[in-house]
Amino acid sequence: MTADLDEFRASVRDWCRTHVPADWRTAQTGVSEAEFAAFQQWWFAELRAAGYAVPHWPSEWGGGLSAAEQVVLYSELAVADAPRLVLAFVSIHHAAATLLAAGTDEQRRRHLPAILDGEIWVQGFSEPEAGSDLASLRTTARRDGDRYVVNGQKLWASGAMHADWCLLLARTDPTAQKRRGISYFLMDMRSPGLDVRPIRNAVGESHFCEIFLNDVVIPAANLVGPENAGWQVAQQTLGAERGMTMVELAERLGNAGFRWLVEACTRQGTVGDSLVADRLAAFETEITGLRALCRGLVDRHEAGTAGPADASIVKLYYSELLQRMTDFGVEIAGLPAQAELTKPASSGWESGAWMLDFIGSWEWTIPGGTSEIQRTIIAERGLGLPRAPAA
Amino acid sequence: MTAATATVGADDELAEIRAELRAVSRDLLGKVNPGTAVGWRQLADADWLGLEVPAALNGAGVTFAEVAVILQELGRAAAAGPYLGAIALGVGTLRELAPSPGRDQLLKQAASGQTLTVPVLTDGADAPWYGSGGSSASSGVPFRLERTSDGLRLHGHASFAPDAAEAGRLLLLATALPGSAPPPDSGASQDTGARQGDGAPADGATPVIVDVDPSANGLAVSAQPVLDATRRLALVTADGVQVDEASVHRFDADPTAAIGRLLDRAAVAIACDSLGLSEAMLDATVAYAGVRQQFGRPIGSFQAVKHACADMLVQISVARGLVDAATQAVAAGTPDASVAASMAKSYACAAAVEVAGKAMQLHGGIGYTWESGIHVYLKRAALNRSLFGSPTAHRKRLAARYNQTDGWRSSTIPA
Repeated sequence: MTADLDEFRASVRDWCRTHVPADWRTAQTGVSEAEFAAFQQWWFAELRAAGYAVPHWPSEWGGGLSAAEQVVLYSELAVADAPRLVLAFVSIHHAAATLLAAGTDEQRRRHLPAILDGEIWVQGFSEPEAGSDLASLRTTARRDGDRYVVNGQKLWASGAMHADWCLLLARTDPTAQKRRGISYFLMDMRSPGLDVRPIRNAVGESHFCEIFLNDVVIPAANLVGPENAGWQVAQQTLGAERGMTMVELAERLGNAGFRWLVEACTRQGTVGDSLVADRLAAFETEITGLRALCRGLVDRHEAGTAGPADASIVKLYYSELLQRMTDFGVEIAGLPAQAELTKPASSGWESGAWMLDFIGSWEWTIPGGTSEIQRTIIAERGLGLPRAPAA
Repeated sequence: MTAATATVGADDELAEIRAELRAVSRDLLGKVNPGTAVGWRQLADADWLGLEVPAALNGAGVTFAEVAVILQELGRAAAAGPYLGAIALGVGTLRELAPSPGRDQLLKQAASGQTLTVPVLTDGADAPWYGSGGSSASSGVPFRLERTSDGLRLHGHASFAPDAAEAGRLLLLATALPGSAPPPDSGASQDTGARQGDGAPADGATPVIVDVDPSANGLAVSAQPVLDATRRLALVTADGVQVDEASVHRFDADPTAAIGRLLDRAAVAIACDSLGLSEAMLDATVAYAGVRQQFGRPIGSFQAVKHACADMLVQISVARGLVDAATQAVAAGTPDASVAASMAKSYACAAAVEVAGKAMQLHGGIGYTWESGIHVYLKRAALNRSLFGSPTAHRKRLAARYNQTDGWRSSTIPA
C-alpha cells in the first residue's frame, strides 16, 4: 500500500514537472477577470485530463482516488507550487457534495458531468440581514404549480459574475420556525430577473457579488431534498468537504507560504536574528500542527468518527494562523511589501505579496462562519457547554 | 502487498494495545489524587514498567508509543512517581547501550519493578544540547570519567535530575577521557569503530554511561525541592567516585546520535505529560462552567467563557497532533524525530501553561485556592515547560535549519 502511494506520488510529481507552467505567477499577476477565468478553465481541464480535478468524487462520476492518494496529490501540487482551483471551488466541492448527498439521479446526471466540462457554481446563502445568523434569511420562494417564484437579495456570492448555476437557500414557509421553513434550490444564473453586482472588497478585488432576485422562476425539479428541509441539506454538506479542502490549504501554507516567509527573512538579512528565528520556528511548528489536524479530520471522516466541532476547529485554527502568518510577513518584509500592488491571480492565500495576503486573510476569519461563530460551535457542540438562554 | 498487509495488521494490533492501555490506565490513575503516586508494584503487575523491555528479558517488547500513552495518563492525573525517570528514560537509556549481561540484568529488573534505574543525561540548569546543534559530543555532558593511577574516577554534577533521588541505580552520562573508555568489543557491533567515529569529538573523548550505586563513596544525591510538589528532582554530585570497568557502558551506536535520541525521547515524554494535564484541565473547566451559576445561569453559557474553552480545545487539538507525530517518530527512530520532538515539546508545553492558567481563571476565586488543586497542574505545567529544553531552546534548534539549504523543507508529518 505504501509502495503504491510512493508510485502515485512519483507520477503526480512527474506530471507537475511537465504541466505546471514555470512562469504562471508572473503571467497571472495583474490580469483581468476574463483572463483569470480563462486561465482557471484551462488549468481545470489540464487537471481533469490527468484525473486530478475531482479526485474526491466517486469513481462512477470521474473521481475515485483514496483519501491517502488525495492527500499525496494536494501535497505534491503544493510542493510544485501549482495554480489553485479557485473558480471551480464551489462547483467541485460544495455543489458536488450537495448533489451527491441530497440530489436526485436526474440532478446528478445533469450537473456532475457538466461541472467536469467547466460549469461554474456560486453559493447563494448569505443575505444583508442573514450573516452569522444565516437561518434568518428572508429571500422567499413561492410555490406556483410546478415551479417556484423567488424574490430577495443574496450577498457575498463569491464569483457570481462567472457562475452558470447557484446553490440557493430561500424561505418556502414564512410561518414555520426559522430553520424549518427553508428550501434548497439549484438556480440557473441565466434566469430572467437576476441582477449580479460585484462588490469591491478590502483588497480591492471584486469577486464578491450581490445577487438581486426579482420574480426569478425555478422549476420544482430543481429543489434539492424535500421542501422546507433545506437547512438540513445545507448542514449536511457544509462541513462535508472541509477535511480535504483544508488539507490542500494547509499544504499550501506549509510549502510555498512558509518558504516565502523564510526567504523574505533571508532577503532582509534577519533570518539569523534570534527574535525572527523564534517566530519562524513557532510558525513552522503551528503549520505542522495544522497539517496534522487536517489529516486527522480526513481520517476521522473516513472512519466515521469525526466529532461535531472538528471542522470548526480546523477552520478557526487555519484562519487565524493564516492571519498571524501574513501579518508577520508584512512586518518582516518591510516597506517593499507595501509597494506590491498586485498579486498573482490563481495563487493561494499566501502568495508572498504579504500586504495583500494579510488584508485578504479576513476573507477567512469572517466568511463561512466567523471565528466567533466557530468558537461558539466548538464550545457548544464540541464541549457540550450550555447554550445562552433565548433573549 | 502481503508484507504491506502484515504491517497494517501489526499497526492495528498496536493501536488496539494503546486503546486498551489508555482505558485501563485512565481508570486506575483516575482513582489517585493529584500529587500521589500509584504503587510501583501495581504498575509492575499491570506490565507498564517493561513495555519497551524486550520479551526475552521478561518485557512486553512494544514501543515508546505505548509508553507515551501511560505518560499522557500520568500527566492527566498529575501523578507522582518515578515512571518518567526509571521507565521512559531509564529503559530508553538501557536500550541504547551495547548489550551486556549487566545491561540485560538492569532491563529485567526495570520490568519487574525490582530496581529503579534512573539516567542523568543533562544538567537541568543548562541544556546546551538544545542550543544550535550541540555538535561536540562532550558539550553538555554532565559528568566526566578519568583514569587515574588507582583506577577510574567519576567527577561532575547535574541539577534538577528527575527521579534521581529515588533511584536504586544511577546511569550517569559521562565523557570518557582517552584511556578511560572501555575498549570496543571485538564483536560485530563495534567492529571497526566506524559507528563510533562520527560521534567521537576531536579530543578523543567518548560519551559513555556509567552505572553507579547512589550510595557510593564520593557520590551525593540530594532532593531539590521545587514548587511543583508532584515531581522529585535531585542534585547529583560526583567527586572522584571510584568506578569499576564493568560499570562503564558504551552506547551501541554512534554516541552523539544515541544521546540525541535520548534527549528527544525526554522532550517528547514531557510533552506527553503536558498534553495529558491540559486535557484534564479542560475537562475540569468545562465541568465546572456547566454547573457554576452566576447571574442566574451557568457561567459556561456566557460567550466569554465559551470562547476561552474553545481556544483551550483548539490548542489541545494542535498539541495532540504534534505529540502523536513526535511519539511515532521517536518510536520508529526516524531521522526527523528531533524536529518533531522540538515542535511537540515547544508547543505542547507552552500550551499546557496557557490551558492550566485559563483553567485557574475560569474557575474564579475557587480556582485560586489551594484546595481546588488547579495550582498543582499549573505548577507541573510550568515545570514541564522548563524541563529538557524550554520552548525557546527548542525553537532555536528548529530555526538552525533555516540557514541550511533545503534543510527545513522536510516535513515531520509523513505525507
